[in-house]
Order: sequence, then structure tokens, then C-alpha cells
Amino acid sequence: MVWLFVLYQGLIFQNTTVFFESKAEDAVQTILDKTSLIHDEGDTLLLQEVEVFTTSLSKYSFGQHIKVIRAGELLDFQGLGLSDFLQQRTGLFVRQYGAGMLASLTMRGTSAGHNAVFWNGLPINSPSLGQTDFSILPIGGFDELHLHFGSGGALYGTDAIGGAVHLNSKLKFGQGHSFQLGTQLGSFGRWNQQVQYGFSSDKISLRTRVYKNVADNDFPYQNLSKPDTPVEKQEHAAFHQVGASQDAAFQISTNQLLSSSLWYNQTEREIQPVIGSNTLDKQMDKNLRWVMDYFMFSKNKTWNFKTGLVKDQIEFNGIQNSTHQIFLIGDLDWEISPKINSKSGVRFSYIKGSLSTYNAQEKRVELYQSTNFNLSENLHVSLNIRQLIFDSNFAPFTPSLGTEWVILSNEVQKLKLNTNGARSFKVPTLNDRFWEPGGNPDLFPESSWSAELGLSHLWKRGSLMMNQQLTYYQMWVDNWIIWLPKGSIWSPENIREVHNKGIEYFFDADYIMGNWTLEIQGNYNWTRAINQTNISDNDRSSGNQLPYTPVHKFQTLSGIKRGIWNTYLNYQFTGSRFVGTDNQDRLPSYQLWDWGIRMGEIKTAWVNGNIGFQVNNIMNTAYQVMRLRAMPGRNYQINIQIKL
Amino acid sequence: MRKFNKAVTGILILFGIFSCVEEGQQIPKGEFERGILVMNEGAFGANDGEVYHYDPITGLIKSNIFEGKNGRPFAGLIQDMVEAEGRLYLVANTGKVEVVDPRDFSSKGAVIEGLDISRSIVTANQKLFVADWGPYDPNFNSPNSYVAVINNLDGGVITKKIPVSSRPEKMFVSGNQIFVAAKAGKKLEVISVDSETITSSQDLEGSPGGFFDLSGTLLLYAYDAEMIYFHQIDKTTGTIQGILPVGLKKATSNFTLSVDGEMLIITSTGWPDYNDAIARVSIVNRQVLNEAIFTGSGFYGIGYHPGLKEIYVGDNNGFQGNGTVIILDQNGQQKKTFAAGRGPSGFLIKE
Repeated sequence: MVWLFVLYQGLIFQNTTVFFESKAEDAVQTILDKTSLIHDEGDTLLLQEVEVFTTSLSKYSFGQHIKVIRAGELLDFQGLGLSDFLQQRTGLFVRQYGAGMLASLTMRGTSAGHNAVFWNGLPINSPSLGQTDFSILPIGGFDELHLHFGSGGALYGTDAIGGAVHLNSKLKFGQGHSFQLGTQLGSFGRWNQQVQYGFSSDKISLRTRVYKNVADNDFPYQNLSKPDTPVEKQEHAAFHQVGASQDAAFQISTNQLLSSSLWYNQTEREIQPVIGSNTLDKQMDKNLRWVMDYFMFSKNKTWNFKTGLVKDQIEFNGIQNSTHQIFLIGDLDWEISPKINSKSGVRFSYIKGSLSTYNAQEKRVELYQSTNFNLSENLHVSLNIRQLIFDSNFAPFTPSLGTEWVILSNEVQKLKLNTNGARSFKVPTLNDRFWEPGGNPDLFPESSWSAELGLSHLWKRGSLMMNQQLTYYQMWVDNWIIWLPKGSIWSPENIREVHNKGIEYFFDADYIMGNWTLEIQGNYNWTRAINQTNISDNDRSSGNQLPYTPVHKFQTLSGIKRGIWNTYLNYQFTGSRFVGTDNQDRLPSYQLWDWGIRMGEIKTAWVNGNIGFQVNNIMNTAYQVMRLRAMPGRNYQINIQIKL
Repeated sequence: MRKFNKAVTGILILFGIFSCVEEGQQIPKGEFERGILVMNEGAFGANDGEVYHYDPITGLIKSNIFEGKNGRPFAGLIQDMVEAEGRLYLVANTGKVEVVDPRDFSSKGAVIEGLDISRSIVTANQKLFVADWGPYDPNFNSPNSYVAVINNLDGGVITKKIPVSSRPEKMFVSGNQIFVAAKAGKKLEVISVDSETITSSQDLEGSPGGFFDLSGTLLLYAYDAEMIYFHQIDKTTGTIQGILPVGLKKATSNFTLSVDGEMLIITSTGWPDYNDAIARVSIVNRQVLNEAIFTGSGFYGIGYHPGLKEIYVGDNNGFQGNGTVIILDQNGQQKKTFAAGRGPSGFLIKE
């Protein structure tokens, strides 16, 4: 075991921090310049902390907004589902079918399967369902979150119609041994426990994580299905999740890097019944993901060869459905000249589905090319193209063109104008095509065209920093696949056309006043997703907002920091949502307040740690994200993190 | 004089009392005692079943009348809507029966504990009898089906569960007997109201759709892919006297009686073509009069208004949103449509 060898070294390292640009040339320089990493200070060997190289997601996306959420921002959500974070801390709307239950993301008014989800560069949307359940992606299973707003088909391939979500592991070199223990205790039987051990030198970085997240979810709720609507305890909604991950990076030579991550996640859930039902469904999800990257750096080129495996198994009431995906990816990122950067690549995917009613396999090949033109210091252009072929069928050719123009830049402020036009697509899922009975092998891929215009403004004066971004977009989605009843059998058709438009606004400000730091950040999404299609003469869907797509969602967080203390107040407003396509019935809007306090970085000779306390839904608001799906009222959490 | 005054006062009081009684007997008609109640089943997993009211004279539609009156959603999938004993019973297959006043839909009670997948209800001997599939086994079969007995017309607790063949659907009360048609078991079973036990069990031809009384004769409609069947049942002995087959293909469980011994049946080719139609059948002559007086897709329920001679067809609109009710004349010509709830599946027509 490499581990034992590493442990045997027994070196004592002390961390320092160096900001590391994720540009290839910088990475080469950093990796090559070993001596710069090591300093001899008397008897102690000091290593500088350097992040292991990963490809930049934002490099070829001029004109679009990618929000990066780092580990520190995820701290209060340790062990909770990613769905909880997205719902509470962003302007995105997550369709949550109960606490810890199925949660699907909608971006820019699209459906659950219209956003691509990646883990360390591997697409992890289920090929049979075409989407990801964000409730079973635990915070703590990854280090960093990137949210790409808007069409990303040319950059990422299938599914990225409304946007993309990237979950990344971030290893570091030069940290020595580290041990981390994270515990979260909360209301309704919540207990999240994570243990992490890592070791890194200047050449190797290893990390092992093990976690267990459980919740009884026996919160009180008003049972609307019974006369007098009594308050009862939610039953049959327990959540039990265990998982482990192993990350490793090895600097083979001065210009070669090998990294790999393995993640196993197992979630066993009692499926919370809709109010008024007495179902006792159970679901077990087992997800295995493995990825390995090989990088080779030269003066102006970075070669990346990636391979990986994504294996998903869902057992619903004893019925098993499983899928396997194997990926081989190779690309070359090349600085052709100071004005032109290029990335050319190919991705091969082998998909196999063994489902309760069918078996299917498929091969996909996709070629992609991204080019950046730095036309001047203030004007940058990204041109991306992609062509995917699945089982001899051509998915729509997918181009995108984005520009970033720095209109104004001085010491006080920076104003940028962003524009982007893009096409995206979604290959029909295996279930769409092969489910027996009802699957439709003649389906076309869903496709979209989108255009967006944005302004971003950074303003800094003295201790005040303010950053805001406003984006207006329009999108036309065609061949949208809908499952329709054909008697007792449901079958999918390319039937819907949707016109989406909206505004996204992000705001972030910091003000430092002596020992105090005031922080405020906010997100507002205005989303119109208008159905253009009636499925029959009697249908009344055309011209209406899509179901469960709030027109308004607003979220803001205000925080104060002083020394090791920080406290925040979070607010979210979710507008009313229509229940059906005819817009006759709607769920009311709701507002939630959360408060938290954290005492961070308590340092002793051997132990660092922090402790936090949160109150969610302070007002004990009774609300439903989805109709008749009970959600918890006021609840409490304590987070403790200890680092050795 | 004082006696006279007392007498007059007494007479006036009595007059007043009788006047009150007289007026009390003239209870105004409830909002929903006339017109058409549309039973909207609701979508699977959403529990959004509801009842709409349609006034065929004014054309006014009142939506979600259960929630509108009681301030809470029905929160279930409605399988049956039966008026009996001055009450209206709404049976949810999510294991619930709501009892409402048929005049204004105000809640009178409910059965909320002990049911599993309830399908239909009858009243007999001041008791409720609820047909229930029972819980699914691991293979989604229903081996433990039953008829639940509740000793109160306003609901309450279940006092007994009478085991019956798999998946009981419709029931019919005649005297001291309750006839139960089981879909998966393909049985006609007779329950004694007095003893609350099964007294006989007979095989059925086809899948049962429902009972009806035609000129004093009890008939059970059933269907399979090629034929429909009318089982003639002796109300006294509970035995099937004969089975009358009629050659109608692709019939469904959805039917309604119209006039002159005729019935209207929804047929459906199902997947993949999914062409629905309404067939007109003479029960008396055992003859299909017209295989398709109206065609389309998404037909989910049917009713007939004898006074207006109108056919009401529920269209589920693919369950993407709420459904539509199509009104046809007796010949199948579309007269108008109106918006209904999710999955309009049945009609209670009050003239």
C-alpha cells in the first residue's frame, strides 16, 4: 500500500498558502519548480501548499457566468444533500419531494433532465433517467461546486440545455498529514459524521473520506388529508446514507501528473408519501464513480487523457435497475499564440443499461473544439463546437459563441459586457427509447437555441467591495420529450416546444470596518418558461408557464464576521408555482429565514476546529415545495469540525 | 279577558311554532343538489383528486368544491362518488372515504384509518361497506382484498374486514345481499348484510365494469379484448342466470346507461395507436348499434344526462394539467367543452 509507505515517512509539515492559478502554463511552472515548494527553516521542513492541477471550467466560456462555491461556503451543509444548499443559498429552484427525498434542479425554466452534472469532469446524469437526484449528492463528497448558468452543450455535451453543475475534488500538495472529523447533529434524528485522513508531499497527495448521514425525518406537519387537519409526525421518511471516497494525485515527473478519484455513495430511503397516501415505498441508490486523469504539460500545451466509470443502481421496492457508463476522453489544450487558445478533444462513452424491463447498450462518440480569441486586452471571444454521434445517429451540431468586453476598467471599478449565443441538446434517455412497454426508439434529441446578454460590475473603494452581475436570456427549446398516457401505458413523444426568458441577478458585497467584516450577497431569478404547444384540441397548455417553475426566486444572505466569530441571516423567497400545464391551480409562495453562528478556527497546539449552530426555518413556516409534500418546520443543527 | 288574552297568546305561539316548522321543512336547495358533479380522479403520486360542479343551465363551473368548502385539499385519488342516505361519499384509492353533505359539500365525517386501496362504497343496514384491494404483495398483486364494514353512515372506525377475491371493484345492494365483482379474481361474490360473510362465489366472464338495474333485472357489465358480457343475476338467489355476450372489441370499464335499454361504452385501442371511441350498444337486443359515435383520445370517464339527452365525456388531456369535459348530443355531435380537474373520470348527474 502506497499509504503505508507514505505514513512511514512521518514528515512534519506546516501549511502555508500560495494562490495557484489554474492555467496550464502556471501549473507547469509550479510543478516543474520543485525547489520553490520546499523551504528549509532550521529543523523543520516547510512545504508550500499547492492545489493539484485540474482543468479550468471557465477558460472557454467567455460571455457566460460560472459561479464557484468553495469548501468554506459549504461548511454549514456538511452531510446534507446538495439540493439543500442549492435551494437555500442560490437563486436556483430545486423540486424537492420532501426532506431528503428526490430533488431535481431546474435551471432557466428547463426540466430536471436539462442540466448536465459532472463529477471531476465525468458526466454523472443517469443515462436511464436522464437526470440526477441532488438529494443524494452529499455535501462533503466533493470539495468545490461550479454552477454554469445557461446553455453549455458545446462545452459539455448532452443535457446542458439550462446549465451545468460541476462537483470537483480539490487535492493539494505539500500539506503533510491531516486528519479531519466533522459532525453535524440536528433535529428530527439528523446525524452526519465524516472522517477524513490525508497525506501530501510535494509529489504525492492522498486523501480518504468516510461518511455516514442519517435522518429520521419525523418532523411534525399538518395532515391536510384528514378532517380538522391534525398535526402529526411524518412517518416513513427515514434517510440513511453511507459513503467513502479516495482521492490521489501523483506527480510522475516534472511535466506529468496522474490523479484519480473514487467515490462510492449508498443511500437507503423510506420514500416519504405524499400527504393523504399510505405508501411504504423504499429505495436504495448505490453509486460508484471512478475517474483517472493523466496530464502532460509542455511549454504551451497541456495533454489530458481521462478515463472513468460511473455505475448507478437503483433498487425500488426490491426492483433493480442499473446502468454503467465508461468514458475515454482525450484533449489537447494549446496556446497557439498569445491571442489564440485552442482545445481539441474527443470523448467516447459506452453505456449499458440493465433495467427491470429491458437491456440496452449504446456507444457515443463526440468531437469538440474550443477556441479563445483574445482580440485585445479588453475583448475576448470563445467559440465552441461539438458533434455527438450516438448509435449512428447525429445529435444536433452544437456551436456556441461568447464574448466578454471590458468596457471600463480602472482601480475603482470594472464593467464587463457579456454576450453568448449557443445551441444545446439532450439525447433521449435509455428509458425514453427502450422502456417496455412504451419506449419510443424513434425519438429525436431535444434541442435548444439560446441567447444572453449580461453586465458584470466590480466596484472597490477602500474597504468596500461590491460585485454584481445582471443577465438577460432567451431560449427556445424544441422537441421537448413528454411522457403521455396511451391508455394504461405511457409513452414519450417529442411534443413540446418551450420559449424561456428570464433575468438572473447576482450581488455580493463586503465591507471591512476595523475588526468587523460585513457581507451581503443575493440572488434573484425571474423566469418565464412558456409552453408553446397543446397536445390535443382540448389541451389548454399553450401560452402558460411550465408547472413547478416559479417566476420569482430571491435569496439573500447577510453576515457579520469579527475575529473567529461570524453570524449570518439567510432569507429566501420562492414565488408561487403552477401545478399543471393549464395554470389553473397553484401552490402559494413561501418565505424562509435561517440563522447561524459559527466560531471558526479555534486553534490549540494540536487541534484546530470550528463549531457552528444553525436554526433553519426560524418562523416555523408551513410550506410545500411540491404539492402535498410535507417539509420540516423550524429545526436546529450543530456543526463541529476538528482538524489535527 | 285575561283568559282570552292567554288563549290568543297561546294560539299565536302555537301558530308561530307551526309556522316555524312549516318553514323549516322548506329547506332551500343546496348549491350542489342540481347540476352535474364531475369526479376528477387526480394524478398518480399527486393526490390532486377533486370534484367540480357544472350547471348545465347557466354553464357555470365551480372548481375544487371539496377544498372550497372545507378549507383543505381532498388529498387523494378519487375512485368512486356515491350519493346515499342523504350523504355523498367520496372514495379515495389512497385509503380514505370522505363523507360530505351533498347540498354544500361540507364535511360530515370520514374513514381515515385501516383502509388500503379503497375502490367503491355502498350503504346497507345503516352501515358502510367499502371494497378495498388490500395491500400489495411484493409482486404488486392483491391477495388480501376485503370489504370493510363501518357501523356509522358518517364514517369512523372499521369494525370488520370481510375477505373477498382479489381486487374487488364495484358493488350493488339488493335486499340483504351485497354483490361484489372482483377484477383480478374474476369472481362475483355475495355478502350477507346480516352475517357480514360471503355466502356465494361464482366465476365471471371478462373483467367486471359495474352493476346496473335494467327494468328490475340486475346486470353486471364485463369486458375483454374481443367481447363485452352482460351477466344476468338473480337478485334473490344471487346466482348468475346467464351471460349475454356482445361482439364489441377493445371495450373499457367506462360505461353509462343512456335511454331505451342502451348503454354507451368507451373503447380504446390502447398503446401504441391509442384511438378512443364511444360505442352505442343495445343491451336488450344484444347488439352494437354504433361502434364509434365519437372518436378521439384521452377519454377517461362518461356520463349521460337523460333530461338534456347529453353525453358527458371526460378527457384527461394527457394528465399534463387539468382535463376537459366534452358535451355531446345523443348522436355524438360535440356541443361544447368545459374545463374540469385532473383526470375527469365520472359524473353524478342530478336533474
